[in-house]
Amino acid sequence: MSTNDKAKGPSRRKFIKTGAAAGAVAAGGLPLFNINHAWSQDVTYDGGVFDAGGATFRLAEWPGFWQENITELLLNDFERDFNCKFEYDGSWPWFAKFVAGGVDNPPNDAANWNIPDLIKTARAGEFFVSQDEVRANVPNANDLWPFAYDNGVGFTWAFGQYCFAYRSDRVDPAPDSFKSFWDDRFNGKRATYVTINTLQNVFFMVANSVWGSDDHDMEAGFDALRRAMPLKLSDFTGNMQTLLERGEVDIAVLVDGEAYMQRDRGVPIDQYIWQEKKALLTQTHTISRGSEPMQKKLAYALLNRRLSPEFQTKFDNVFYLRPTNKNAEVAPNLAANGVTNDASSTEGLWIPDWNWYVDNETEITDVSNEIFSS
Amino acid sequence: MTTSADNVTVEGWGNALRVFLGGNRLIWLVLPAFIFFLLFFVFPVLSMLAISFNKAIPGVIDFQFDLTLANFERFFKRALFYEAAIRSIGLATLVATITLVVGYPLAYLIAKTEHPGRNTFLMILVLTAMQLDMVIRLYGLMVLMGDNGIINAALLQWGVVETPLPLMYNFFGVVVGLVQFGLPFMVLSLIGIIRGIDPFLEEAARSLGANRWTAFWRITFPLSMPGILAGSLLVFAISMSSYVVPALMGGWKVLVLPIHIFQQNSELGNWQFGAAVSVILLMSSMLAVLVYQRYAVKTAGGVRA
Amino acid sequence: MTVATDRAGPGGFLGFRGKGVRGKPPVDKFWEEPDIPPVFKIGGWLALAILLLPVVIVVLAGLNAGDFLTFPPDGLSLRWVNEFLTNEQFLGAYLFSLQLALTTTVISTVIGTMAAVFLARTDFPGLGVLRAYFLSPLILPGIVLGLALYVFYVATFEPLTGIRLQRTVAGLTIGHVLATMPYVIGAVTAALFNFDRTLEEAARSLGAGPFKAFMKVTLPIIAPGVMAGAIFAFIVSFGQFEVSLFLSAANLEPLPIAMYISLRYEFAPIAAAAGIFAIALVVVSMVITSRLISLKRFSGIKFN
Repeated sequence: MSTNDKAKGPSRRKFIKTGAAAGAVAAGGLPLFNINHAWSQDVTYDGGVFDAGGATFRLAEWPGFWQENITELLLNDFERDFNCKFEYDGSWPWFAKFVAGGVDNPPNDAANWNIPDLIKTARAGEFFVSQDEVRANVPNANDLWPFAYDNGVGFTWAFGQYCFAYRSDRVDPAPDSFKSFWDDRFNGKRATYVTINTLQNVFFMVANSVWGSDDHDMEAGFDALRRAMPLKLSDFTGNMQTLLERGEVDIAVLVDGEAYMQRDRGVPIDQYIWQEKKALLTQTHTISRGSEPMQKKLAYALLNRRLSPEFQTKFDNVFYLRPTNKNAEVAPNLAANGVTNDASSTEGLWIPDWNWYVDNETEITDVSNEIFSS
Repeated sequence: MTTSADNVTVEGWGNALRVFLGGNRLIWLVLPAFIFFLLFFVFPVLSMLAISFNKAIPGVIDFQFDLTLANFERFFKRALFYEAAIRSIGLATLVATITLVVGYPLAYLIAKTEHPGRNTFLMILVLTAMQLDMVIRLYGLMVLMGDNGIINAALLQWGVVETPLPLMYNFFGVVVGLVQFGLPFMVLSLIGIIRGIDPFLEEAARSLGANRWTAFWRITFPLSMPGILAGSLLVFAISMSSYVVPALMGGWKVLVLPIHIFQQNSELGNWQFGAAVSVILLMSSMLAVLVYQRYAVKTAGGVRA
Repeated sequence: MTVATDRAGPGGFLGFRGKGVRGKPPVDKFWEEPDIPPVFKIGGWLALAILLLPVVIVVLAGLNAGDFLTFPPDGLSLRWVNEFLTNEQFLGAYLFSLQLALTTTVISTVIGTMAAVFLARTDFPGLGVLRAYFLSPLILPGIVLGLALYVFYVATFEPLTGIRLQRTVAGLTIGHVLATMPYVIGAVTAALFNFDRTLEEAARSLGAGPFKAFMKVTLPIIAPGVMAGAIFAFIVSFGQFEVSLFLSAANLEPLPIAMYISLRYEFAPIAAAAGIFAIALVVVSMVITSRLISLKRFSGIKFN
């Protein structure tokens, strides 16, 4: 992992803080101050319930529907059991906030991410408790499928598999390969996302590998994007679902769970799950290294619950996501759509090389923009 | 330059001094706003923009003393970026013009409406359109203008077209969205000015033999110049800096400067380049405003706006 | 000072004479069209159609009886309106936005009106620059302002003062005040532009102090301008999306952010229902305002 490559950056950079405050702020970055700082103290956790004495815990996760349900399914009980209070930050993006505050002053105690932003933040400094340290303190963190650790920084606790969702009433024959997306019949009726969305990043990397030599073959990916024009673009999956529902598009990049969800609502949707590369959309959790000891201990406890089989099944049923805990049962909503959670169904699942993506992100974004706006 | 003495008839030195002192006392009125802007606008924004002269390093957001013009060089070397600047200015100019043409009659209608209840009713209609959240309002436009939207459905039904017209997710869609967004601002800028024009001027012109149109073009229209200036500058500015309308109505295919700024800041974490694009946006806006003001004031026959 | 407190119209002191003043009976039928060239009538109604069509669609979508945001709706009902009223997330965001917009409006209006009086009453070589200074937030994209303020709060303000503004209501309010003040200053300057200062001078020569003269004479006359600025500030703050993006406080999201976020996941009619309540707010406040001040004298804005 190259996550620590640039770790020396932020504390040095703090000497030259924005504008006139340089002198005042610089002191905060001196190593001297870190001797007694919170994160140099050891915190241990054994999986049990404890009394946090009314501590406030700053949690960053997605807002809206997500917040509503995660509060109901996880946070309310947790607050009661551990005697703590959540301060929920739903205002993504968090990368800028971590960097602005520096390692010692994280904007939250724990955060939920899609991987690219997480990688970028981890590369900008040692913001997170290492996987080894977390695994030593969070019992459930040791029961996950191997891909849950692949990001090298946090813990993947829920996922979906990439697919093409298509209108079953308007598309015949059904797409049967990744390359079907490029069929002439979908001209102007196919859709993917802007580069800000992880779904587009993964779609691009899979296109690299299917149309080119491997997932790093950018030129093949760009060429594929050019040949996919005219296409429609969306920013988030909610908007994409509306485009599908209104028949503005016939085929779209989506995650399997959202296709099931929409079909269960009565929209005529089917899905082709990519087999060429079984790519994953993931939800990954991190614990901030600069948090106070009590908050860190709470973060361990919260992660332990999040990774427990019981919670994952309950959560997945609402969000149509799949569990990463080997022992979790598949939620009824997903089971009804044929999803299982065993060694064979998780074999070959693929997390893209996000480090490569982040290294080449500027070029990919610029060229993709040029193609989309042409 | 005029001095305060031009504003008020001053008789004698004593009075002039009083006015001057009075003017000085007025300083206290502007100080709260001035300091507030200095602390929370000028300082933060300039610090942010200053990093545009730093090398782009992902994950660094503070100002470094190592200066470079690399970000600006990159901007002007790549068509993707400098074309966005041209597109932004062109789009904002077009939107301001259309908004003026469409908005003026409505402002005129409201300004000339005498009945207080009817007047309030019309004002409510305008403000309602302004108040409805932009994101959900754009959903309304999608229902109207999408490939399967109401307009296309009607055109297909009547056999006017054979395939749906591309009304959105393109430049045209962005123009419509921004006109929809800017129209209330234009109308509200015009109403007060039009209402302030003495109706007897027009009546006098007509009694001297000018027809309604001539009277309007020769009297009312030139006199509403301050409102036209204010309204079109405002619409220009908000069109130029809008992110959400070009993004949603253009389907992210119509790349304007705010979209690049958002991408560089929120997606790539390249704050230095994002700051450089912001500087260019600010500069282009200011330049456009200056040129426009010079030109408009000249054509308006020196009406001070 | 009967002229100054005359609320029916700016009387005869600006060379402006309303028809009522001159003896013609005022138009009093609600549906009677004003006597203007037909092309203005047609143009005006066309502009209204452009403005209102999307609004009508959203309102109908919010009254949808079906499960999803569809148009045309599957029958009309108050189902989603009720849903909105019992939804903690949306109702909370709505009430928070209301509170935020009210606070912002009060601060912006007071400070902005004061500044506008200064701008309208003085003339010095740097006046144009000072005007531009106060109007500059208009041309800065909200996302840049939001990010700049966030970095400033974290990296400069808190280390210097020990006060946390990032992710607090106060910090967010500051951003909103910056985004709305240009409108207040623009509207009040427009009102003062036509204000005859000799009225205030007269009041002062009759023994009133400058503050009293302003409150008793000037303020009632420029009230429509101040009110126009306040309405602008309220609407711009209530609908503010871009500035709020980085500055939203913990556990508290303004309505536009909550809407955008919910639409990311699914297009539920509840977002449209929330839109109906946002509109209701403007209608109610306008009806109240029109009782207080004749909107006929709405002064518009002046931005340069």
